[in-house]
Amino acid sequence: MGFLSPWFLGGLLAIGLPLWLHLLRQFKRTPLPFSSLMFFERRVQSSVRHRRLRYLMLLALRLALLVLLALAFANPFLMRSAASQSRRKLTLIAIDRSFSMRTGDHMERAKEEARRLVRDLPAGFVAQIAALDSHLEMLTSNETERGSLNAAIDGVTAGDQTSSYGELARALRLLDKSANMRIAAHLISDMQQTSLPANGFHDLQLEPGTEFFLHSVAEPKKENWAVESVTVPAQIFDPKKSRLTATIAGWQTPAAVRQVSLVLNNRTVATKSVAIPANGRAQVEFLGFDVPYGENRGEIRLEPHDSLPEDDAYLFSVERADPRRVLFLYAGGRSREGFYYKAAMESSTSAGLLVDQAQLEQAPNLDLTKFVFVVLSDPGELESDVARKIRTYVEKGGGLLIAAGINTARYGAIPVTQEKVSWDNLAQAAGEVDAQHPALAEAGRFENVQFLDSVREMPNAGAKVIAKFADGSPLLTEERVGEGRVLTLSAMLDSSSSDFPLHASYVPFVVQSGLYLAGASDIPSSVVVGSPATLRHSKNETTAADVVGPDGKHELALSDASRAMTFNLAQAGFYEVQSASGRRALLAVHADRRESDLTAIPDETLDLWRNTGSSAPVDKAGSGQSSTTPWSLWRYVLTLVLIAACVESLFATRYLMEKREAA
Amino acid sequence: MPAAQVSNRFLDPAVLAGISGLDLIAKTVVDGFLAGLHRSPDFGFSQEFEEYRAYSPGDDLRHVDWNVYARTERAYLKRYRGETNTSTVVLLDASASMGFGGKVRKFDYAKYLASSLVYLAHLQRDSAGLIIFHDEVSNFVRPTSRQGQLMRLLHGIDEAQLGKRTNFEKPFFELQQFMKRRGVTALISDFFEKPETVVKTVEPLRFRGNELILFHVLDPREIELKLEDGALLVDMETGEALESTPDYAKTEYREKIQAHIEELRTKAQAAGIDYFLLRTDRPLDEALREYLTIRQGRK
Repeated sequence: MGFLSPWFLGGLLAIGLPLWLHLLRQFKRTPLPFSSLMFFERRVQSSVRHRRLRYLMLLALRLALLVLLALAFANPFLMRSAASQSRRKLTLIAIDRSFSMRTGDHMERAKEEARRLVRDLPAGFVAQIAALDSHLEMLTSNETERGSLNAAIDGVTAGDQTSSYGELARALRLLDKSANMRIAAHLISDMQQTSLPANGFHDLQLEPGTEFFLHSVAEPKKENWAVESVTVPAQIFDPKKSRLTATIAGWQTPAAVRQVSLVLNNRTVATKSVAIPANGRAQVEFLGFDVPYGENRGEIRLEPHDSLPEDDAYLFSVERADPRRVLFLYAGGRSREGFYYKAAMESSTSAGLLVDQAQLEQAPNLDLTKFVFVVLSDPGELESDVARKIRTYVEKGGGLLIAAGINTARYGAIPVTQEKVSWDNLAQAAGEVDAQHPALAEAGRFENVQFLDSVREMPNAGAKVIAKFADGSPLLTEERVGEGRVLTLSAMLDSSSSDFPLHASYVPFVVQSGLYLAGASDIPSSVVVGSPATLRHSKNETTAADVVGPDGKHELALSDASRAMTFNLAQAGFYEVQSASGRRALLAVHADRRESDLTAIPDETLDLWRNTGSSAPVDKAGSGQSSTTPWSLWRYVLTLVLIAACVESLFATRYLMEKREAA
Repeated sequence: MPAAQVSNRFLDPAVLAGISGLDLIAKTVVDGFLAGLHRSPDFGFSQEFEEYRAYSPGDDLRHVDWNVYARTERAYLKRYRGETNTSTVVLLDASASMGFGGKVRKFDYAKYLASSLVYLAHLQRDSAGLIIFHDEVSNFVRPTSRQGQLMRLLHGIDEAQLGKRTNFEKPFFELQQFMKRRGVTALISDFFEKPETVVKTVEPLRFRGNELILFHVLDPREIELKLEDGALLVDMETGEALESTPDYAKTEYREKIQAHIEELRTKAQAAGIDYFLLRTDRPLDEALREYLTIRQGRK
C-alpha cells in the first residue's frame, strides 16, 4: 500500500485538536467549593462515568473522521496485478485513415489486420472500432458481436486529413477515465513520423494500466514524390504576366526526372521535365499562360505516378478578371492628394486595381458598387446622405480606407466609424507595426518615415490597432462594419503632412492594403484540408450561405446555411463557396503534404510509446504479460469519512441534547 | 418579592455588605424595621410609663408613687413599658461552610443578623451575650447590660473568623453553664447537620424556660443548586471531593435540601423551638420584621 499524495498525511496532526478538547479541556474541572456534601451521594459518579464514555465515543469518532479525511487526501492505493482487476476489458481497435494510408494497399492491409484482431478476441469481449485522422472517431459503441465490428472495419476508407498520434493518446486517456473498464488499444497505422506531436513525447503518454499495441502496415523505405507546393496569384489580370511556380519534392527517393504538367480546366496547358535530386526538391516555373475569364480550376500534375498518386496532383484555383476600380474621394480643390496614391497603386501589375479620383461633392451621383473599395482622403464632416451611402456600402461588404488629416481633426470624428480624433502637430516616426497583417504584408515597418503632424485617434472598442506611432498612439486601425472593413490611417496619403510617399514602404502599403480591402487576400489559390472557409463575419447576417463540395453536393444543412460562421474543408478537391454577403469563390483544397513523407517512426520510439501505459513492458505481440497497477482506495476512504461524519453528528446531537436537558 | 423591588431597597444584603462597621449596619437594620413594631411582651422597669398597680405586700417600696399616695392616700406602684429583665444570647456558627456565598457570604449575613439582634437587645435594655463557635467556642462574651456591652458584642462579632467544622455540643455545654435564668437564645447557623442531632443538642435549653430561636441561614444557590456541567464539588469543611452532574443537582439534591429544611422546621417546632429560614438574598430588615410579626402573632 502506498500514498499518491503522502504529504497530506501531515493533516493527521489535526487529531491533536479533539484530543485537547476532549481529554485535556473537557475533563479538567476546576474544583467547586461547596458548603457541605451531606446531600450528595457517591453513586452520582456512575452517571458521570456514563457520560464520560459518551465523550470517549465522540472523541473516537472525531479522531477517526480526521484520520480518514487525511487518508482520503493522501490518496492511498494498493498495487494490483492487471489480471486480478475486476474491471472488464475494452478492446479498442483504431485504424489510421489519414491521407498517407492511400499509399498502395496500406488501407486494405490495415483492415485485414483489424479483422484478424476481431477474430482473435476472447469470449465475452467488449470492443470498439475507431478511425484515426486529425481526431479519433468512434465508429461503433461498445460491441460484443463480431459482425458489427467487421461492418465498421469494412466502412473505413482513407481520407485526406493528417493523422495525429497525440490526439489518439489524448482520446485514450479520456476513455480510460470515462469507460470504467481496462483499455486495451490497438493502433493499425503506417506509423508516419510526421504524425508524432511536434511538442514532444509528453502528449503520447497513456494512463497507467492501458495496454497499447501497435500494428504497423508500413513498408521499409517507401519512396514517394509529390507536388509539395504551388505559388500562383489567385487573380490574373494580364495573361502575359501570369506566373506559376511549383515545388516537387521526393522522400526516400533516388534522383529522378519527372514530367510536370500545368492543367487548366482539365486541359493540359504546358508540360515540363524536372530533374529531382535524391531526397530533394526541384522547382518548375510556368510563365505567360493564358487563362480564360472567370474562375478556373487548375492542377499541377506529376507523372509518372508512384504508389501514392493522390499527392502527384496539386489543385489550385485562379480567376481571370479585368482590373477593378478603386474610388478615391477628396475634398474640393485638393486633387493632388490622390496623385501619389494612384501612381503607387497602378505601379503594381499584379494588383489589378485602377484608381478613379472624384470630389466628395460628386459622391451622391456615383454608384459605389462599381468600386471594390473607396478611399476617403481627409474627408472632414461628410454630408449626411454621403455618409449614409458610404456606410451602407461598407455594411454590405465594401472596403473603405480613410486618411485622416486636419479637416477630419477639426470635425472631431472619423466618418462611418465615428471614432474620436484630435489634431497633433508633434513630428514623430512610426512605432510598433503588425507586419503579419495582410494589409501591411511587404510594407515593412515604415522605416525612416517621418510624420510631421498627425491625427490623434481614439479607437472604438471593437477596433484593432495594426500600426502605432512612436509614442504609441494609433497610426493604422481596422474596424469591421457589417460585412465590410474600414482601415483608418491617422495621416495623409500625400506628402503634405509626412514624407511617407517618398519611402519604399509606401507602394507595398498602398497595394497590400488595397488588395486586403478588395478582398483578394481572402481567397487564396489553394488551402490545406481542414482549413475553415468563412461563410459570414457577423451572426446578424442571416442570408443563407452555400457550399458545394468536390463531389458536386451541397454540403450545408438548411440550418447551417443561415447560421454557420465557417465551414470545414475536410476533403481534397474544389469547393464552390457562396458567403452570406453573396460573394462567390472557388476554393482549391489539397491534402497536407506532410502526409507525403512516408518515413516510419523508428522501432525504439514505438517501443517507448507502447510502454507508457504500463509500469512493466508489455509484450509486443500483445500476449499481455501481467503488470501491476495502482488501485486507488480514496473512494472507499471517502465513503468511510461520510459514515463517520454521520455517526459523529448523531452522537454529538444526543450529547448536546442531554447537556441542554441537564442545564 | 420582585427583583426590582428588592434592588430598590436600601437594606439589600449586598448594600449592607458595603457599609463598614457592624454598629452602623445594626442600627440601619433595626431602625429600619422598628418604627413602632416591636413591643416587649414582658413588663419590666423601664423609662416609659405604662400604668399604675395597687401596692401589695412585698413590693419594692422604691417604686411606690408617693405623689399619688399624697393625693389619694393609696399606695400605687408605677409600671414602665419595655422593661423585660431578660437575657439575650446570640450563638453564631463560624464553621467553614458559613463561608459559602456570592456577593454576600452566609457568614457575613449571619454577622449582620447577630449585630442586629444584640443592638435590638441593647435598645430594650436587655442583657446580651455572644458565643461564636465552630468545632469549639472561639469567642464568648458573657451576657450583661453594663455600659459598653454593645460595643464589646459588636467588636466580638466583627472579629469573628471562620473556623473548621460545626459542633453544636461544645457551645451549648458552655451556654448551659451560665444560663441560670430565663432568656432568649438565638442560634444562627446553616445547620448542615442532621435535624435530629441539632434539635437534640439545643433542646435542653428550652427546658429551663429559655426561649430558643434557630435562624437557618442559607445561600440561594444551596437551595436551588445549578450546575452547567459535571462538576467536582469540594466540601468546605472536610475537604472531601465528589463529582456531581447537573441533573442530580436539579432533582435529587433540591429534594434533599428541601426535606432537610422541612424536617428541621418540624422537629424544632415540635420541641417548642422557633425556626426561621433566612436566604442571604433577602433584605435583612424585611426578614426580621416578618419574623417578629409572626412571633407577636403567636404570643
